[in-house]
Amino acid sequence: MPTILLVEDNEMNRDMLSRRLERRGYTVVIAVDGPEGVAKGSAGGHDLILLDMSLPDLDGWEVARRLRAPPIGLRIPIIALTAHAMAGDREKALEAGCDDYDTKPVELARLLGKIETLLQRPS
Amino acid sequence: MNPPDADLITTAALGELRHELRTPVNHIVGYAEMLLEDVPATEPDRRARLEEALGAARDVLRLINGALTPVEGRAIPAAAVTELYQRLRDPQQRIVRSVTAMMSTPGTILDTQFAQDLERILVAAHRLVPEGKAPAPVAIAGSSGGGVAGQALILVVDDDENNREVLRRRLVRENHAVEVAENGRRALEMIAARSFDLVLLDMLMPDTDGYEVLVQIKEDPATRDIPVIMISALDDMQNIVRCIAHGAEDFLPKPFDPVLLRARISASLEKKRLRDLEKEYLRQVDRVIAAASAVEAGTYEGGALGEVAQRGDALGRLARVFDGMAARVKAREDRLKTQVEDLQREIGVAREASREMAVPVELGGQLVAGQRFAERYEIVRLVGRGGMGAVYRARDRELDEDVAIKTVRRELVSDPEILERFKGEIRLARRISDRNVVRTHDFGESEGVYYLTMEFVEGITVRELIDTRGKVGITSTLAIASQLAHSLVIAHGVGVIHRDIKPQNLLLDGDGVLKVMDFGVARLMEGGANRTEAGLLLGTPAYMPPEQFLGENVDARSDLYAAGVVLYECLTGRLPIEAGSMMQLIARRLQEEPPAPMAVNPEVPAAVSALVMRLMARKPEDRVQSAAELVAELQALG
Repeated sequence: MPTILLVEDNEMNRDMLSRRLERRGYTVVIAVDGPEGVAKGSAGGHDLILLDMSLPDLDGWEVARRLRAPPIGLRIPIIALTAHAMAGDREKALEAGCDDYDTKPVELARLLGKIETLLQRPS
Repeated sequence: MNPPDADLITTAALGELRHELRTPVNHIVGYAEMLLEDVPATEPDRRARLEEALGAARDVLRLINGALTPVEGRAIPAAAVTELYQRLRDPQQRIVRSVTAMMSTPGTILDTQFAQDLERILVAAHRLVPEGKAPAPVAIAGSSGGGVAGQALILVVDDDENNREVLRRRLVRENHAVEVAENGRRALEMIAARSFDLVLLDMLMPDTDGYEVLVQIKEDPATRDIPVIMISALDDMQNIVRCIAHGAEDFLPKPFDPVLLRARISASLEKKRLRDLEKEYLRQVDRVIAAASAVEAGTYEGGALGEVAQRGDALGRLARVFDGMAARVKAREDRLKTQVEDLQREIGVAREASREMAVPVELGGQLVAGQRFAERYEIVRLVGRGGMGAVYRARDRELDEDVAIKTVRRELVSDPEILERFKGEIRLARRISDRNVVRTHDFGESEGVYYLTMEFVEGITVRELIDTRGKVGITSTLAIASQLAHSLVIAHGVGVIHRDIKPQNLLLDGDGVLKVMDFGVARLMEGGANRTEAGLLLGTPAYMPPEQFLGENVDARSDLYAAGVVLYECLTGRLPIEAGSMMQLIARRLQEEPPAPMAVNPEVPAAVSALVMRLMARKPEDRVQSAAELVAELQALG
């Protein structure tokens, strides 16, 4: 089963989402802040990244930009997650290099649909 | 004119606010959905409560989206946020109620992960509307259903009609409910009849003046917590000081300044609100303390902490943890009670059977019935014989109680070195005082007979129980196991290894209490002279761990091995390894693994079977490592 890198600073979000994904058979690797997200993302070994946008210090948009830009140039799908859910957030996330965008509270079926679609997309 | 900026929410702040509110909703929905996946359809109550929490969380989301979405770029007034927090209270309380109901259902034991996840939902629910965001409405006494936030019931006491009216009108404009009294006596009557949130009290009044009214309010425990603001002219500083010394909250100088009036009233009301919260908190602390006493007295009912457990603070958490612990303790006690009752039943049946089979014990020991022995004991009868000597029931004439006297064959103690070692062991064993251990009293010699005295227990041995019943029931075996494990914790704790745990050494009294015999005695049997004697060791090697019959180091884990064999025999009615001779037994034990108890008796639960096999592991390091660990394992089995 595919491996997902979950970049999330909130402990409860991490615990809950990683357990729910693991129940569906995914392997979940955790990064607890932006710098760890960039480090683990650039190290590779994942099939998709779930990226929280409101991380302290280095926020999700910046993490996505760094992962996409040279020298890292990561190509695996990134899904942005945010609890802001304000107009314009989606566009901002796509501009930063994310492939899709979802809001919290997470509707699991919807998020799983997005994950599966992106994983099937030829890279 | 546009309203000032301070009353509008900026877009950035709005984003923050949505984030702040949607994050806990995300937790509640996520954990509740995950728990729903775990709760089977056979538990409709739990499913319904989780569904209720989920429904309430979705209501929260609708309220947030409705209130915090800007329309056509127009900013949102700050008042909308206050109103939103007020409206979130209801669904928040629904979440808290359904979760705490699951946590404190009497007789329900929650899986640790499940309980942790419920705790997380509760934390998230309290984050939704933190304390202070939506203050509870100040209750208005006598009114039917509380009031609007900030509203209070205020009594104005003044003999001057103009003053009363000015104050009343101002306060009504501030949304307060106002009553007036024209003198001190009337004021005291009204205070006795209704519960006011605040009293504004004129200092100078004919007959009963303000000071006297204040003193009476503050002397009465029922009214002393009502804040009182004195009304006086500024030049009456001496009286103001006197009133404040007697508990007045504040004072208002005449003529009234509206801003000062509003500030002092709201400060007093806020202080009262905090005091009420504190009193409520202390009341709930008292309930937790009372619950602790109830647990001690054995009268605690699960879920009795009710609304204390619904609090979002540390006290609520304490109450929930406490409730959970009390439920677990009660469940464990109930289980033990059932085990002991089953054991009592089996003992009763076995005693009946053994009475029928009873063969009189042959006489022929060194002592005879009726004989006076060692100047203080009167021999009642011979009750058994073993490799070491004979066992008699005797009457201790000095203490006027029955004891067991075990005689020790002379040749066992003929070597002074062995005798000393044995005495040392008995000295240690005498230090064990526990209801699951037969108490050793004394070791002595009289008329050339070496003997031990010990507590006399009226009962049957586990040997007799197995022999008459064929095998012992699962719950009864667990009752034997937990008591045996407990006795080993105590003995090993004082450094005594039994070395000869076997069904013959385990006595059961009529109440199902297990008592282990012969702590310290087995040491004597290890003397070289007796190893070869027929009959002496034959009964025992079946329970011996390999290290013991190989002459290697024996430690606490050797007793655990023997306990494993005893439990195996209880559960299956047979020994794990059956052999015709001691050599064959030793050879087979070193070469083969016995069949698991569940393979012999399919009624044995897998976990019990596995635990017994682990006790009987060939290598000590593969066994349960201590008696305390065995106690814990047995508790986990339930």
